[in-house]
Amino acid sequence: MIPKNDARLKLIAPPAAPAAAPALEVVRLGKYFTLAGRDAWVLQELEFTIQPGELVCLLGPSGCGKSTLLKIIAGFLPPSSGRVCVHGRPVTRPGADRGVVFQEDALFPWLTVAENIGLGLKTRLSGRNLRREVDRFVEMVGLGPYRRYLPRQLSGGMKQRVALARVLILKPQVLLMDEPFGALDAQTREGMQQLLLGLWQDLGHTILFVTHDIAEAIMLADRILVLDRHPARVARTVAVRLPRPRKTESDVFHHFYKQLRSELVP
Amino acid sequence: MPFMNGSRRWGLLPWVLPALLVLAWCAASAWHLVPAYLLPSPRRIVASAYGYIFGAPGEAPYAGRFLGDLRASLWRVLLGFGLAVLLGLPMGLLSGRTAVFQKIVGNTIHAARAVPGIAWLPLALVWFGIGLPATVFLVSLAAFFPIYLNTAGGARQIDPLLYQSGAMMGIGRLRGVFAILIPAAMPQIVTGLRLGLGIAWAYLVLGELTGVPDGLGAIIMDARMLGRIDMIMVGIIVIAVMGRLSDDLLQVLLKLAFKSARRMA
Repeated sequence: MIPKNDARLKLIAPPAAPAAAPALEVVRLGKYFTLAGRDAWVLQELEFTIQPGELVCLLGPSGCGKSTLLKIIAGFLPPSSGRVCVHGRPVTRPGADRGVVFQEDALFPWLTVAENIGLGLKTRLSGRNLRREVDRFVEMVGLGPYRRYLPRQLSGGMKQRVALARVLILKPQVLLMDEPFGALDAQTREGMQQLLLGLWQDLGHTILFVTHDIAEAIMLADRILVLDRHPARVARTVAVRLPRPRKTESDVFHHFYKQLRSELVP
Repeated sequence: MPFMNGSRRWGLLPWVLPALLVLAWCAASAWHLVPAYLLPSPRRIVASAYGYIFGAPGEAPYAGRFLGDLRASLWRVLLGFGLAVLLGLPMGLLSGRTAVFQKIVGNTIHAARAVPGIAWLPLALVWFGIGLPATVFLVSLAAFFPIYLNTAGGARQIDPLLYQSGAMMGIGRLRGVFAILIPAAMPQIVTGLRLGLGIAWAYLVLGELTGVPDGLGAIIMDARMLGRIDMIMVGIIVIAVMGRLSDDLLQVLLKLAFKSARRMA
């Protein structure tokens, strides 16, 4: 097999987007649904960009269209207007370059932890290479002893670890997370946030993380995009310049939280 | 619940009802509650069954014919059931996943389903004559509907999240059929196959009542004309046992072949 960075391959590779191309670019995005004969715009003139390696949180109230936006970026839904580009290439359908971690449990119930994590990689690797890579990611999310468990035998937090590992193993250019820890208890959620931050610092993914939890956004994000509702648009961008690791109980965190909250919740 | 597992957990419980039935039967014939020409004694049945299964051919009217009948009937059931699976499974998956296909065939299939199998019998005889093709036609026709309907239902009810998960993991349409669609619909597919196989045995008897020379159904019809109630009952019991065994075998095979059948059923 020819290694990926072989110079000969470069000649036939599609022309790379300029180095400055953002990891994710959302341009004048609009989406309406037709309900009872009337067009209801869920998203309108939505615009933002995310640089490679950035961790950005989309913060907005429930039902403001966050999930719709994520589905469009993932390619599950076509936009009504505007476009989405990943590393300069327009999104037309779902693909392994955009990994999605869903809010609910979306694991394959007939596959074990290890099989769930390895499923997407099967077309690229096989045999020992596949097993080694799966093992690496099983360990990375701390599920080594549970590799042979079925999803129904796992707790909510463990399921989301599998959901995270099965997309990270595909080395997506952008990781899309739709309130992935929303259904977990507070303690588990904190553990998962730390796990995500650790993996992000090691692997350097670009992450778009949707949440309605202000504290979670502050804990994770480089930048917070605050969404309006009806229709959703980016109301403002908040840079979170707190040093990591961030502690919820620290004064700076608390101060930041209080200030953001007072601005968002009148 | 798997059969093996069930028998271990419940001990002899599944055998209590059959034992009671046999006991009642013994009592009824011992005290002459029912005339023997309507219900022969269990001892008589055992003797007839023994002769049917182990007797030397030619020794008595039905002696030693069991293996030949069983082979003929098994072959018909397998052919008919196999044909029903080959048609019902893909068509079920297709109409469960594509609304257009469902609209095209659904109407016709549901209308055909309403026609009882016996109504097809004269037609089958005209078309295929007496013998293997007519029986296979009836068996596969009857087995097709539960397989098709359950598969379609299973395919239709798959959580869209599973599909989206597959799509964002780079699993294309064709691979998705085998990696996601079939495993996710497996519990309903198993139900459909089991119902289909059960009906296949029922229609086997119907198909063999038409005057084929061999087969478990043919024995029953033949025995009726000769007034051999004992042989009718032997035939019924053999078919009951075969139906039960083939159902277990089907489940074991499906579990061996498919992870999803092992882990979700």
